[in-house]
Amino acid sequence: MRYFAPAIRLIVILLCFPLLTTQIKAQAPTPPPTITSAHTDTVVYAGPGDSFHQLSPLSAGLQVEIIERNRVGNWLHIQRLREDGSAIVDGWVMTGYLNLDPNLSFSDVPVNTTIADGDPANIPFLSVQPLYSAPVIPTVSPAMVDVYQLGQSLGNHADVVTKVGDSMSADVLYLGPLFAQDNYELGPYDDLEETLKFFGPSLLTISVAARIGMTTYVVFDPTWADKAFCLPRESPLDCEYRRKQPSIAFILFGPNDVRHMTADEFGVQMRMIVEATLEKGIIPVLNTFSTDPNADLWWQSVDFNNMLIQVGAEYQIPVINLFVASRPLPAYGLEADAIHMKHSGWTNLKYDSGHESWYGTSLLNLLSLRMMDEIRRTVGMG
Amino acid sequence: MLKWILIGLILVVSACASSDGGDPAKTVEQYLQAKVEADADAMRPLLCAAMEADLNLEARTFESVSGVEIKDMACKSDGNTVTCTGEIVATYGTENTSFPLTAYSVAQEDGEWKYCGEAG
Repeated sequence: MRYFAPAIRLIVILLCFPLLTTQIKAQAPTPPPTITSAHTDTVVYAGPGDSFHQLSPLSAGLQVEIIERNRVGNWLHIQRLREDGSAIVDGWVMTGYLNLDPNLSFSDVPVNTTIADGDPANIPFLSVQPLYSAPVIPTVSPAMVDVYQLGQSLGNHADVVTKVGDSMSADVLYLGPLFAQDNYELGPYDDLEETLKFFGPSLLTISVAARIGMTTYVVFDPTWADKAFCLPRESPLDCEYRRKQPSIAFILFGPNDVRHMTADEFGVQMRMIVEATLEKGIIPVLNTFSTDPNADLWWQSVDFNNMLIQVGAEYQIPVINLFVASRPLPAYGLEADAIHMKHSGWTNLKYDSGHESWYGTSLLNLLSLRMMDEIRRTVGMG
Repeated sequence: MLKWILIGLILVVSACASSDGGDPAKTVEQYLQAKVEADADAMRPLLCAAMEADLNLEARTFESVSGVEIKDMACKSDGNTVTCTGEIVATYGTENTSFPLTAYSVAQEDGEWKYCGEAG
């Protein structure tokens, strides 16, 4: 029997060990969902964008606390302090690099509304600097409240949005039926759910003003209007606005136009589109576009994007700064053709895995949804 | 006698030469062909006065696509309307796109038929 005693003791210890660890675990407090860590060694920036200074990297696995987020939510201010209050880590990281707690809710994370989205002082080229001065998601001007009210008096639908543009806009995975599906996974972006449900169903219907090959000239040409939906002599733009009577139009031109016209010509055409939109009581939302610095038309694209910012300022209309937001993404969020935005491979809205830090289309949809949310809250829709 | 034959020939040739300009269907066909070729110089004399301001836009709407051509175009006139069948086809990247021809308005200005946009 004595020969078996050590073995029995060992068996007893092995049997009791899980119970002991369970008790220890039960006694340890559950960390709040704002505690996180990086899944790989990650660059930390002094602000919510890759134009800010780089700080010491965040080591994979090191626990840090989320202090606040940017307005979009795709950059988080993280911090880890020593006992004396000095910082081990104190800076900004993109969501896609963090192991976010499934219970994290951006409704509960303070928003830093004052910090800029870029630091133009760190951009070496003068012509590119203005792009870094423009916010990724702007505040909505009081002028847009007037536009919305005009639209309401004209019979526009508060809960309807549409899109106008070239092949990027024609992409069914951009502002398309996926916004109307129930299988969305917003992850920490719970604060956007109400807006998604408010506008989502309106994106089930295709836009006749979003078509492959469309340019800022084409959108006014009845030849390009789909005769199945549009009246004779009606341009794709007029047709779309008549059919849907939306309150917001997301307008995305540039990647196609830059191949065929000057920035000044582009500006003239964009102003025409903006004016045609405003006079119908529809809030136009412009977008800068992503481009690769190694692409042939890089400098022209910078000029076009600057023109979009300029037109937005002239009319006090919102401009989503996709150019700046997409800089930190792999390949600037672009497909191999360096024109179209890269897909995640998922066909639902999926923001529980940090896709917005990796795929251009995921980022663009998120920015659009955030912009809808800003507009809805500011002008008092729904 | 020879003089009268020559005069007669000249009159016949003139009549034939002006018959294109006098046929509204031909005007529309020429205009659409010039448009897909982005040939503003050829479009200008065929465009009615009401659409003169649209010349630049009209001439630039197919510059973003390649391989633009009109297939099976056949136009018939009926008063101030010319109805065409056929389609404009074009390629963007690897995707084909098409634009069915439709009915167009024409207007007579200074004795010439001019293209004046879609009918309706």
